[in-house]
Amino acid sequence: MLPDLIQLLVGGILLGGIYGLAAFGLSITFGVLNVLNLAHGEFLMLGALMGYVLFTALGLNPFISAIAVIPIFIIAGIGFYLLLLKPISEKPPHQLLVASILITLGASLVIEDLTAFFWERPVTGIAYSLPSLDLAGVVVSSTRLLILLFIFFLAFSLQLYLKKTYIGKSIRGITQCLEGAKVVGIPIVLVSALTFGLGVALAASAGVFYVTLFTVTPVMGIPLSVKYMCIVVLGGLGSLVGSVVGGLILGVAESLTAYYFGAEWSPTIAFILLILILIVKPEGLFGTKE
Amino acid sequence: MNWIQKKPFYFIVILLLGVLAALPWLAVSYTLTLVFFLSVYLTLALSYDIVGGYLGYMNLGHSTSFGLGAYTTAILLNHGFSLILALGLAILLAAAFAAIVSYPLFRLRGAYFALATFGLISLIEVVVTNLRDLTGGSGGISTPPGNNLLPAYYLAIVVVLGTMVFSYYLARSQFGLALFSIREDEEVSRSFGVPTSLYKCLALVISSVPASLVGGVYVWNMTYISPHSVFGLEIALSPIVMAMLGGTGTMVGPVFGAIFITLVQEFLWTKVPYFHLTMYGTVLVLLGLFMPGGLVRTQWVRPLVQRLGLGEEIEYFKKS
Repeated sequence: MLPDLIQLLVGGILLGGIYGLAAFGLSITFGVLNVLNLAHGEFLMLGALMGYVLFTALGLNPFISAIAVIPIFIIAGIGFYLLLLKPISEKPPHQLLVASILITLGASLVIEDLTAFFWERPVTGIAYSLPSLDLAGVVVSSTRLLILLFIFFLAFSLQLYLKKTYIGKSIRGITQCLEGAKVVGIPIVLVSALTFGLGVALAASAGVFYVTLFTVTPVMGIPLSVKYMCIVVLGGLGSLVGSVVGGLILGVAESLTAYYFGAEWSPTIAFILLILILIVKPEGLFGTKE
Repeated sequence: MNWIQKKPFYFIVILLLGVLAALPWLAVSYTLTLVFFLSVYLTLALSYDIVGGYLGYMNLGHSTSFGLGAYTTAILLNHGFSLILALGLAILLAAAFAAIVSYPLFRLRGAYFALATFGLISLIEVVVTNLRDLTGGSGGISTPPGNNLLPAYYLAIVVVLGTMVFSYYLARSQFGLALFSIREDEEVSRSFGVPTSLYKCLALVISSVPASLVGGVYVWNMTYISPHSVFGLEIALSPIVMAMLGGTGTMVGPVFGAIFITLVQEFLWTKVPYFHLTMYGTVLVLLGLFMPGGLVRTQWVRPLVQRLGLGEEIEYFKKS
């Protein structure tokens, strides 16, 4: 019983780490651009497919691909921002909201439909594994452990980036006060573009890990975006710690639900957590009241 | 606005009603089905607009009401309930569901509300799929067989006309004004004494009524539904695309949008079997980039709509 539980917790924490990484990408994008990117899950899916292609065609190790996709998707994200989101960034709040939902949702449908059309295989996964570790009765896949360590390393370096570099400080500054950031001369467009690219790249990088552990389908993007939003609300807006903790909670909750109630119920738990946190603490676990 | 200025409008309405009533004797059943589907989508688009356009909260999960209505009606019909009773209970269930979820959901704003309501559809879809004994699972559910096209056609027409009239008068009522004020600025609205939480909940409940009713009519005509057919992306998004394309926050907007999209579907989609979602997506992106106000607010359509005396709400997207 206990080993089962620990096994579940380990699995859940790993899944949660992947969730947290991508959710933080969504969170910083929202903080800087004030736009919720409904296509965020699609970029995870694209990253996963790219990881798959790199692994099968070139035999590239997932850990290397996870780094390799970052610059590619930063560029893709900057392009997405300049083409679709910059034109609407000066609109008044309600119009910005409507336009941003239309644009990101539309883009997400286009990405999903085109990928499903050109990617003939409906389900994709890769077989990459290292020998398992046996720790006092609990079997831990060392691949999963390494991935988790890697994700924490990424989160840590991200935190350093946000605290120490000029761009990182600008990102936090714009999140706190857009007007103030403009007054002190932060280049809003440049930082917004970079932030969007960074957010998208984090999702894609998480996607590479996702495909090592689970199967990927082209239609999984929108449900994933919903999950990330649940995590961001759960953890509190704009908080890296919140996203990671929210992701871990969701990951553990999903694996526990799948074990005790059956795998078909695990998609519901994200939403139930969202409803619970909204009733109990609407600003999120690590959020601050406005 | 006195009625002489509206004369052409009344003329058009009476002509249209006559054509719709006589259509079963004039056209083949394919046309009837087409008008039936147009009515279903238009009802969804109009009722979506009560929350999405009047209140300003984008409820991407509007089709949950539709699906709940359809499933409730189907299950009750299978248990020998009469159609009227089944539809009534379906409305009650969907309205109660809307009232319950409105409490947590309206704590979210903006894009978060939109995405959360979108997630609500997949939640209900999973629940419906998993409750196999009640709903038939992913295989779907059939109702007692029979050709109900003609009565269902008239019922759908009545429902859509009722929704249009309701939507028109709602926009001119005190309640409608309160919804507009919440859309413009919720804090100011509350400080002027509008019970914002209650009204938001009421708006969601009201908008769920036509959607669930038309869901029931839909399943009565189709005699078969599956989780995918009532909770799928297509039924969730096309009413919203119609409302946004036509112009939200007006009664005429969704009408324009629904007719436009249905015509496009008729002439284009029967010839191109792929990329339907891509087209929807492209339309959404272009709308967001170039005319979030929709067709009725473009310079070509606006004078026409104003001449018909329906232009009261049309200026909304012009001011910033």
